[in-house]
Amino acid sequence: MSLLETRGITVRFGGNTAVDDVSIGVDEGRITGLIGPNGAGKTTLFNTVTGLQKPASGRVLLDGADITRLAPARRAHLGMARTFQRLELFLSLSVRDNVRVAGDILRANTRHRVDVDKETDRVLSRTGLGDIAHLEMSDVPTGRARVVEVARALMTSPRVLLLDEPASGQTEQETEDFAGLLAGLAAEGLAICLVEHDLPLVMKLCSTIHVLDYGAVIASGTPKEIQESPEVIAAYIGTEEVTA
Amino acid sequence: MTTFLTFTILGLVLGSVYAIAASGLVLTYNTSGIFNFAHGAQAMLGTFLYWQLTYGWGWPMWLSLVVVVGVVGPAMGAILHALIMKGLRDTADVTKIVVTVAILLGMLYLSQWIWHPEEARIMEMFFGSGAKIEFAGVVIRVHEIICLVVAAAIAVGLRLLFTRSRVGVVMRGAVDDPDLLRRCGHNPDRVAALSWAMGSTLAVLAGVLITPIGGGALEANALTLLVIDAFAAAMFGRLRSIPRTFVGAMVLGMTATYVMAYFPTDWTWSGNFRVSLPMIILFVVLIVLPQDRLRGAAIRTRERYRVPTVRKAAVWGAVLVAVVFLLTLLMEETSVTTFALGMTFAIIALSLTVLTGYAGELNLAPLSFGAVATIVAFHFGVSGTGLAARLTLWGILLAVLVTAVVGGLVALPALRLRGLYLALATMAFGVFLSTMVLRDTVEHTLFGRTFSIFPNGTLIVPPLKIGPLDLRDPETFLLTATALFSLIAVGLVALRGSGYGRRLAAMKDSPAAAAMLGQNLVKLKFGVFMISAAIAGLGGVLMASASGSVAGENFAVMASLGLVMLTVVGGIGYISGALFGGLMSGVGFTIMVGTFNDLAAATPAMETIYKSLGQLAMVATALIGMGVGKNPSGTVHDIIEGYRSLRKARPVLIGGAVAEAVLYVLTLTGVIGNWWFAILSACLGMMLPVFGKMIMPEAVLSEEELARRRSTPLELEGIDEPYTEELRRRLDRELGLPSGVDRAPRVPAPRAAEEGDVHVVA
Repeated sequence: MSLLETRGITVRFGGNTAVDDVSIGVDEGRITGLIGPNGAGKTTLFNTVTGLQKPASGRVLLDGADITRLAPARRAHLGMARTFQRLELFLSLSVRDNVRVAGDILRANTRHRVDVDKETDRVLSRTGLGDIAHLEMSDVPTGRARVVEVARALMTSPRVLLLDEPASGQTEQETEDFAGLLAGLAAEGLAICLVEHDLPLVMKLCSTIHVLDYGAVIASGTPKEIQESPEVIAAYIGTEEVTA
Repeated sequence: MTTFLTFTILGLVLGSVYAIAASGLVLTYNTSGIFNFAHGAQAMLGTFLYWQLTYGWGWPMWLSLVVVVGVVGPAMGAILHALIMKGLRDTADVTKIVVTVAILLGMLYLSQWIWHPEEARIMEMFFGSGAKIEFAGVVIRVHEIICLVVAAAIAVGLRLLFTRSRVGVVMRGAVDDPDLLRRCGHNPDRVAALSWAMGSTLAVLAGVLITPIGGGALEANALTLLVIDAFAAAMFGRLRSIPRTFVGAMVLGMTATYVMAYFPTDWTWSGNFRVSLPMIILFVVLIVLPQDRLRGAAIRTRERYRVPTVRKAAVWGAVLVAVVFLLTLLMEETSVTTFALGMTFAIIALSLTVLTGYAGELNLAPLSFGAVATIVAFHFGVSGTGLAARLTLWGILLAVLVTAVVGGLVALPALRLRGLYLALATMAFGVFLSTMVLRDTVEHTLFGRTFSIFPNGTLIVPPLKIGPLDLRDPETFLLTATALFSLIAVGLVALRGSGYGRRLAAMKDSPAAAAMLGQNLVKLKFGVFMISAAIAGLGGVLMASASGSVAGENFAVMASLGLVMLTVVGGIGYISGALFGGLMSGVGFTIMVGTFNDLAAATPAMETIYKSLGQLAMVATALIGMGVGKNPSGTVHDIIEGYRSLRKARPVLIGGAVAEAVLYVLTLTGVIGNWWFAILSACLGMMLPVFGKMIMPEAVLSEEELARRRSTPLELEGIDEPYTEELRRRLDRELGLPSGVDRAPRVPAPRAAEEGDVHVVA
């Protein structure tokens, strides 16, 4: 059984079915990829898993426990963390305080007692943000800002980390460093779910990939299987060609 | 039965007018994302204009209607949109709210300027109150039938607009994603302008219809507060659905008339209860509304604030106390009393700094929380009688505590929802308090105790005495209030720099991200609202005690709105913004208007001009408030930025300080008057950064600014002067090309040109 599981999640907006009966799992120590064209329902699925969106039906399980009805904050306390596709950083705080406040929140809302300052320094150096820690958030370019979101999520010592297009806006070098960081985190036992349009990155990092199209999973498997799957080529790469 | 039928129909009539007003509110909110607090004020202004045309100038009714509803209404909306609302994109909700609050105040001041508030104005029903028909024993007046028909027509019209017409469908999309609309070939601005015009027209129409129903007396404040009734109705449809808004309006209207019909008239508070009904219903609806879905903020707002260190804040606090002490040496006793009153307002304004500046939530009725504390202190915190009466420390502490709890209870229903709901809930609380609690002036008996909350309409609040510290002396009062302001301010700065403050900032910037990190948002908002209410309570008691006696009007919601607006104008994220807002709204404008009135009395020939100037000063405040959209970080922010740039220009700073000291000594020795001192000091303070730029540009200006001043930008070189070798070398240098090497051919090689010539010749 996976650490994080969705069972038959369906989300509807009015008459539109944005997510259609999706059941996937995210395992400890591995990076699970979630790909699909724009509007396939990836972010909606993330929102449902993290509690920002109520599903019409289906369940979300964390470590076997049903968390479908829990508030986002409660899920965070249970070890879930995420980043946002459209950056949700705290623009009136410095980079360091953006990371540090996650520790403050943890201390104030749970019985978890961490040395916030020490932990902040550790996470900043681990994510390679030491050189920009003093900057105001609004002065940080998008590529690094994505890393700040990851660092902030790591402050909560998560068991499962959901990343929503973390590499978009990054330079080639930044993406490479980022890939190293993710691989390292997974090796330490973190369960990571990665939504990303940078296919080479996904193929390189993920052990399992699920392909979403029109809200439904149309293929699952190893990178190799996905690359060779005729459905994926038809639905995913095919549509891209049409729109292009 | 006839009574029931009669009141049901009256309720439907009232409800239909509420529905007209509320649908306008929902319309503008949904197409522009701006909740228009000035909706009632627009109704008020239109109705006064209608009165002026019909009753003042004797125009025929139909002509006035055409002009007011057909021309002025839409024009008012379109102008508001073009001048103000359009510029509010990318600003925080707080800024949007404050701008419409400023419009509300501006329209109110304007109407009081044109139409003297103490004159009575009566508006008749259409076709007179005698025109009526009788149906099954129930009498219905023609005016009432008109209301019902108009509301029904508007309901049908809006329904058709939104479902059948292209414009209506575009309107529904306008607020969700204006960029998408633009890409689809629509102009979201035009759609928003149209909706503002329609919304404003509906407001005016509602105002013209409702005034005769409510007895016909035209009253600016009451009409302005129509926005609350409209809001309560709109809540039924979560500010989105127009059909549900109509249902809500009917519920509201009918409840009001049933209360009038069936509540015992010998209950002293029945009348107050009826007036407060919309506010009560609003709170009930708030409680039953389901929780908002968290959305990402994802907009980069333009507001920016710098946070000082605690040490710096402490130094500035000490400086403030010292400056105020030096000023007391100049001032007469009456001025000291006025100044002290202003300082208590500044303390109330600090409650907004923590709530709005730090946490991003809004309280539109800070003075009402001051009123709660004042009532508690009056009843339970005074010892001694007559001249020996004093407020006790325990009394104040109790008052502050009770206010914090009341604040928590008021805020709780709205905390699960977006910030707008909290703003509206607090405003509704403010109106409720004014209409219900502060009017509880007659004694009544409950559970064997005889009491009234606000005896005789005036509370005498004596000065505070703590041990040897007796605040009877105005100077002691002023210095104590200033010291208290500084203390709370330093406390707030320390709070902002702590983990708690960072969590507030996180919640303000992105509620979704804060929640995803594990922050319980309701708990955090609840706590900070209680802190804020407590500060407002403390300031309120001191304000009452500085005034000596307070009436209900001292805590009116309009006064609260003025305080909120001026604090935001000053800079809601700054302590000094609170100082500015408090002093200005507490006493600044009273002094200005008073001065002009004194001048008017002294020089009868110029009376009209001076009086107009005084009124203009009031309207001007509101204009400043509307300007917040252009400069959302506040005035203080600009001043701070100006002085930050002076850091390296020591001589300028020292020169400024010396000049100020000279001014002070001159005033102290009586060479120049206090007014001159105030004016010259203000000029000096404003001009110093400008002087700095002129005298010591190298020290003051930033690198880029200096480079820009020193030379023409590279790409403009050679345009207005001959292109020289010198310029070319500079271009090479700037572009990093190797110098000295003469590069590739400058112009097409001469040989090629010759070849071309040859070709042509051949």
